[in-house]
Amino acid sequence: MDNSIAHLKLTGTQINYYFLCQRKLWYFAHDIQMEQNNDAVYLGKLIHETSYEREKKEIDIDGTIKIDFIGKDRVIHEVKKSDKVEEPHIWQLKYYIWYLKQKGVEGVTGKINYPKLKKILDVVLENGDMEKIETIMVDINRIITSPLPPVVNRMKICKSCSYGDICWV
Amino acid sequence: MYVIVVYDVDQKRCGKMLKLCRGYLHHIQNSVFEGEITEAKLEELKIKSRKIMREEDNDSLIVFKSRNEKWLEKEIVGTDKRPVDNVL
Amino acid sequence: MKQNYYIFNNGCLRRQENTIFFEKEDGTRNVIPIENTEAVYAFGEIDFNTKLFNYLAQKGIPVHVFNYYGFYSGSYYPRETLNSGQLLVKQVNHYTNMRHRLALARAFVNGASFNIVKNLRYYNNRGKDLGEYINAIEGYRSRIEESGAVEELMGIEGNIRNTYYKAWPTIIDCEIEFERRVKQPPDNMINALISYLNSLVYTTCLGEIYHTQLNPLISFLHEPGERRYSLSLDLAEIFKPIFSDRIIFTLLNRQQITNKDFMTEVNLCYLNESGRKTVVREYDERLKTVITHKKLERQVSYRHLVRLECYKLVKHLIGEQEYEGFKIWW
Repeated sequence: MDNSIAHLKLTGTQINYYFLCQRKLWYFAHDIQMEQNNDAVYLGKLIHETSYEREKKEIDIDGTIKIDFIGKDRVIHEVKKSDKVEEPHIWQLKYYIWYLKQKGVEGVTGKINYPKLKKILDVVLENGDMEKIETIMVDINRIITSPLPPVVNRMKICKSCSYGDICWV
Repeated sequence: MYVIVVYDVDQKRCGKMLKLCRGYLHHIQNSVFEGEITEAKLEELKIKSRKIMREEDNDSLIVFKSRNEKWLEKEIVGTDKRPVDNVL
Repeated sequence: MKQNYYIFNNGCLRRQENTIFFEKEDGTRNVIPIENTEAVYAFGEIDFNTKLFNYLAQKGIPVHVFNYYGFYSGSYYPRETLNSGQLLVKQVNHYTNMRHRLALARAFVNGASFNIVKNLRYYNNRGKDLGEYINAIEGYRSRIEESGAVEELMGIEGNIRNTYYKAWPTIIDCEIEFERRVKQPPDNMINALISYLNSLVYTTCLGEIYHTQLNPLISFLHEPGERRYSLSLDLAEIFKPIFSDRIIFTLLNRQQITNKDFMTEVNLCYLNESGRKTVVREYDERLKTVITHKKLERQVSYRHLVRLECYKLVKHLIGEQEYEGFKIWW
């Protein structure tokens, strides 16, 4: 792997936010977090904490990525509350698979669990994904190292976003 | 939102339910709680109560919700202990 | 919205069974639902222990303490959990760089005095002749932008407040004796009310700062160290006319607060317990009142307006959007 990408040490949350909202990505990287006072986020955390209690939870790898739990046959799981925006979840998991691959762990696939919806989504690395992830990483680094947060248009998700107040006030 | 929470559980678990609910709402009568609460805190209360209750004993908890306390007409017959007051 | 708890009785506050109990001297007790508590105000003589403080810290709940006369003594401010090194550096920079500091200090005075004028206009439109005061304050306001130092700005602010207070006997219907603002200690009813309510506004601002990454020690209009959490003083300037002054006018004009609610000693006037309770209930009601926020297009409480002010400061500090003090529009 390209060394300049490896040292970026991006977290899964950052990959997720890159697809969700790049302002959120910037604020989050600057430790300006809003989660603590948002009901929707708190609910998400609760679901996280109370579902799949039997499985081993939160596997921390290099202090960089945190996998919710690992199932049989090298399947990594990510638990999410709602499937309203699937793309960020999918890329978060693809990034984990990519990350493990860099560390020499092959044959990993992923599943996104939506316990509230009783739904499971399969995720695998497809052709071209490796390159795309590397481009994304460089772009994330560009965003979080720029002095100002990027300007984004008001989206549907802004309404329930914990950063809504700081963005639009 | 403003809620009234009532529960009916086997007496072995009454104490646990009481202790749980007291952390979130005001105890107004036996097995009855009332107060202002956020959606997330209510969800948390429900999750924790599920862990206490037992299906085989038909334990249950009921939540009555109102957007605002003002839309709830309350009448007290007998002693008003003002249990929900935040000025003590 | 989480609740504030205001404790006037003497007694003991302690952790018990994963919540907090307040036990009065006579043995009766109240349970305070911890999960739904924003802050505790201690007006009575209350015993606390470290077990309680550890618990409150864990839940992020501050305790504001008031002395026998109802004057603010200080706050127990739990360990901060929201820290941003990069934002702190910027906050410090905005204090040390005089140009940056002045810009923020001006914005505070500008916002505060706008809200003051708004209060005067409100009563001017309701048959009180306040034109001369409004004009005088507008005159001072026009000098805010050209002020070259924070001290000068403080001087302008002082003039605005003095003029504002001179208008109070016209605004308030009942006979009052009020010429100038006297603090430490207040010498008459109005000064006692102002001191009391201002300390409530200060604690509200402090509580909201706690929920953000801002550092409460570094301020811009007030000199850091003037009071421990001086950023609260800056923010309180904006909100005093809205939260504090409007309540004073209302309470006096509706005669909800009268002579009977005060105690006087030599050169000292303070609210008695029933007065303090009346004010605190009105204040608490005010914090919970909701309005539709024009920019956010949703309902927010008065208390949340303070939080939003913090967010605006954050945006200013990171260089995203110039800060403008909150201006009341109703």
